[in-house]
Amino acid sequence: MKLRRENITKALEALTAYGKVLVPTDEDGVGKYVPYHDGVELDLERVNTTLPPKDALFPQTQKMYRYKTGENAEIEEIIDADEQILFGIRPCDMQSIVALDAAFLTKTYVDSFYARKREKLVTIAIACAASNPTCFCDSMGVEPGAAPAADVLLVPTAEGWNVVCQSEKSKTLMESVAGILENGEDSPLPAADPWLKVNMEGVPSTLAGMFDHPMWDEICRPCLGCGTCTFLCPTCYCFEMAPENRGSEGIENRHWDSCMFSEYSRMAGGHNPRPTGKERVRNRYMHKLTFFAQRYGMGLCVGCGRCIQKCPVGMDITKIIELTGQEGAV
Amino acid sequence: MTEKECNCNPLVPQVCRVIGITQETPDVKTFRVQTPDGQKPFSPMPGQLSMLSLLGVGEGMFSITAQEEDWIEFAIKKTGMLTDALHEMPEGETVGVRGPYGNHFPVDGAKGKNMLFIGGGIGLAPVRSFIRYAFEHRADYGKIDILYGSRSYGDLVFKADLFENWPKQPDTRLHITVDRGSPGWEGNVGVVPPYLEECAFSPENCMAVLCGPPIMINMCLKSLAKMGFSDEQIVTTLEMRMQCGIGKCGRCNIGSKYVCLDGPVFTRAELNELPEEH
Repeated sequence: MKLRRENITKALEALTAYGKVLVPTDEDGVGKYVPYHDGVELDLERVNTTLPPKDALFPQTQKMYRYKTGENAEIEEIIDADEQILFGIRPCDMQSIVALDAAFLTKTYVDSFYARKREKLVTIAIACAASNPTCFCDSMGVEPGAAPAADVLLVPTAEGWNVVCQSEKSKTLMESVAGILENGEDSPLPAADPWLKVNMEGVPSTLAGMFDHPMWDEICRPCLGCGTCTFLCPTCYCFEMAPENRGSEGIENRHWDSCMFSEYSRMAGGHNPRPTGKERVRNRYMHKLTFFAQRYGMGLCVGCGRCIQKCPVGMDITKIIELTGQEGAV
Repeated sequence: MTEKECNCNPLVPQVCRVIGITQETPDVKTFRVQTPDGQKPFSPMPGQLSMLSLLGVGEGMFSITAQEEDWIEFAIKKTGMLTDALHEMPEGETVGVRGPYGNHFPVDGAKGKNMLFIGGGIGLAPVRSFIRYAFEHRADYGKIDILYGSRSYGDLVFKADLFENWPKQPDTRLHITVDRGSPGWEGNVGVVPPYLEECAFSPENCMAVLCGPPIMINMCLKSLAKMGFSDEQIVTTLEMRMQCGIGKCGRCNIGSKYVCLDGPVFTRAELNELPEEH
């Protein structure tokens, strides 16, 4: 099947019958996913959005439960699980959902807030025919021309996209756009070949032995602890839970948190196991490249390049990978 | 590992009531908690943790120091915003409780062994859950030694257990020390680690269970090694800042382990495998 470029609006409108359709757009220079509405300007040229799509599954602020205090105290869970279609997600970000699935849905407990949203989410990915200077997904095991975990894959062609259904979930969705798609396929544009390359071979295990390596003293020095990297990272999933209290009632929310903040691990009484930037920077990079792999069998960096692009002081995860590789080669 | 079956959301607390508050020391209180219909919220294993919240104020992770048929109990030291508020609340107050979380003390692995329980300050709270379990299953364990120290006589927690209940138990000895003596105190004066060495407990067929402030734990680990305890014979608990309790929110990791899920109980042999970041 294929979709012509001029029919995209028609297709998105048809999809809104199924649920909230999130589409990439540009708002004042910030690429992000917004609910599709009349007149929204799609931005399908941008390789990946400035803000990652993780908000669809793991909102920046999620209401968890309502409570009342006092004599008639009660706690009532807030169920928020509408049908959502994520349109235009790129292969790197699709891999980030695979990693989030591992974190939230496996290893003993299932996170119900995430699970409910995940079940109702349909993903329509667009393969990349172009890349940013900071893209290095292929080095992290992601194919720019594929997104095996997506429900539907759109492969760019000169006229539009070839449409590949990849899951059971996609079938109902396809019925709603049946009259808009056309039969046959056009010849696909070649998949992007990112310019930035790193060699990840052996890095997770080499880095595991570098906890006390002197390189951390150097690496952490420029870091401001601003948290931009964790905010923009499609796989950063740390959160904190806090009440929003109004007299004798309120709502318990969970918010994105950042391991780059000193408060994050500071205990009551003042002891902090990660008291300086060195420990915090080390923990973040080791979590991305080693700890997550040890626990879940996959890396937590998908090579989207956002943290490299937006870090105000030029911290660069590919440099850590390179340094580790050199250490491993010695 | 398989996904844990839970018919409730592990991140949403249940409403409970505080049915009893005891002032243990000037800055430690124990809070006895049960559900509004008089049940205990759950049946934890010794050493397990629970999130206790004062709705609208905040939530904190605490060890469950004791349980009976219809209640669980927390011993909490006043150290911050939440614990200050908990110390100010009256009996009958509503709290949120969720859990239990984490692994537990090796109550089965310790069967048939002599037990050496070591606590410092509020660190007796988690150890007490195992001590009570051992007394409830007295025939399963050999002789029991309990070494406990605090800053002063006034800072000793659970005085009824220390001076009345536990010394009456068969084949059980209490060794209590205070950092600073006071008029009327006839027991040992001095910090825990040297007293531990002075008591010269035999490592033979013995398991040591240790909990207290980090400096005490580190010194006791050295003392126990000197006394001939192997790394497998020493069990301790780690404390990190925790929030979700289910290994998701991220902050309590030490390397690839989460203290709320893979801990809080670790043998010294397991500690040796973790990065020094706790």
